[in-house]
Amino acid sequence: MREWIEVFKRGISIDNPLTVLMIGLCATLAVSTKLEGALFMGLAVIFVLGMSSIIVSSIRSLVPEQVRIPVFIVIIASFVTVVDLTMKAFLPDIYTFLGVWIPLIVVNCMILGRAEAFSYHQPVRLAIADGLGMGLGFSIVIVLLAAIRELFGSGEIVFLGARLIALPGWYRPPGVLLLFPGAFLVFGFIVALAKWYNTRTSGRVVQTDAHCTIEEGVR
Amino acid sequence: MEILQHFALLLVGGALVNNILLTRFIGLCPFFGVSNSLDTSLGMAGAVVFVMTLATTATWVFWNVLLAPLGVGDFLYIPAFILVIAALVQFVEMYLRKASPSLYRSLGIFLPLITTNCAVLATATESVRPGFFKMGVEYGFTFGEALVYTVGVSLGFGIALLTFAALRERLEVAPVPDVMRGTPMAFITAGLLSFGYVGLAGLFGL
Repeated sequence: MREWIEVFKRGISIDNPLTVLMIGLCATLAVSTKLEGALFMGLAVIFVLGMSSIIVSSIRSLVPEQVRIPVFIVIIASFVTVVDLTMKAFLPDIYTFLGVWIPLIVVNCMILGRAEAFSYHQPVRLAIADGLGMGLGFSIVIVLLAAIRELFGSGEIVFLGARLIALPGWYRPPGVLLLFPGAFLVFGFIVALAKWYNTRTSGRVVQTDAHCTIEEGVR
Repeated sequence: MEILQHFALLLVGGALVNNILLTRFIGLCPFFGVSNSLDTSLGMAGAVVFVMTLATTATWVFWNVLLAPLGVGDFLYIPAFILVIAALVQFVEMYLRKASPSLYRSLGIFLPLITTNCAVLATATESVRPGFFKMGVEYGFTFGEALVYTVGVSLGFGIALLTFAALRERLEVAPVPDVMRGTPMAFITAGLLSFGYVGLAGLFGL
């Protein structure tokens, strides 16, 4: 059980997919203009990552090494299709807002990368921990980014039509936070914060370096 | 003349106004992954132009010949497109290794990376599937339009990647606060770079 919690926690802090591993950035920066969109994106990723971890891990002895990438892609694509159609049916507004980013979860290197680096080699129960931990780590960062951008960029946070927080009237929101430069700038500071926090708590310098785990995998 | 203008607008719209990296955040993994040196970026940019054009060609044919007439496009397009692109990249890699070793040496290592690059899937989906396109067209592209748009998008990818790589090489020796060193500063730089593209937003009504 301790091992399970250890793996789960790693996805949130020291191996956080966004701030440390630097994978799955595109969707994060693009959909973080609205808190509600970011939240549902996070939920979609948790679902796809968790389910594909379970499936990949449970069939890992049946899948030969040479064809594993296409197999992973088909598994992931099936769950993404489930999310795609479900969201289209029940949350049409969010679906329109997320747009092309739902199908693009398939090529989010975070999910394929975790299938390749973790679930393919580990028992099911640890794969679930990794999937949930990574998904939660992703969601926390994306929700934080979206909250900062929406609150300070538009002066209020609107969640499913209800206004959650509003800044006082004298605050003039800088619209640039909602535009694309704002995403890069705010995320840069979040990465710096995470780096500082991880270095402090773990006592070692955590190297943040952008890379895609899949690059050796496909070859 | 009119058709030429239409194509020119598609090219500029894809390359600069809707720049895929800096205004739409598609394909950021290689943007931060390989931009450490100018040479690698050049190779990556070349490979993206090459693969993206091929991918759109393949998916356009696949959609119009198979998926759309059978009426299964809506729920099969995600697995179908990604498999077509993955298979295509494998074949291109094998072919290049045999036919042109020098080209393979310069582009080869980037090809597998591109399979999982969302820029390729996004552009293919966008230019093939009706209603997915951002620049206000509800009908599916004709083959020519899809091709011109894709070339524009991949050129925009190259331009953004190369400018960013050039900036990043200078950043290595710049005095930066310790906690910001490395990736955090790279993000800030990318943010400043993308300010330039804010000025282009809405140009020509694209």
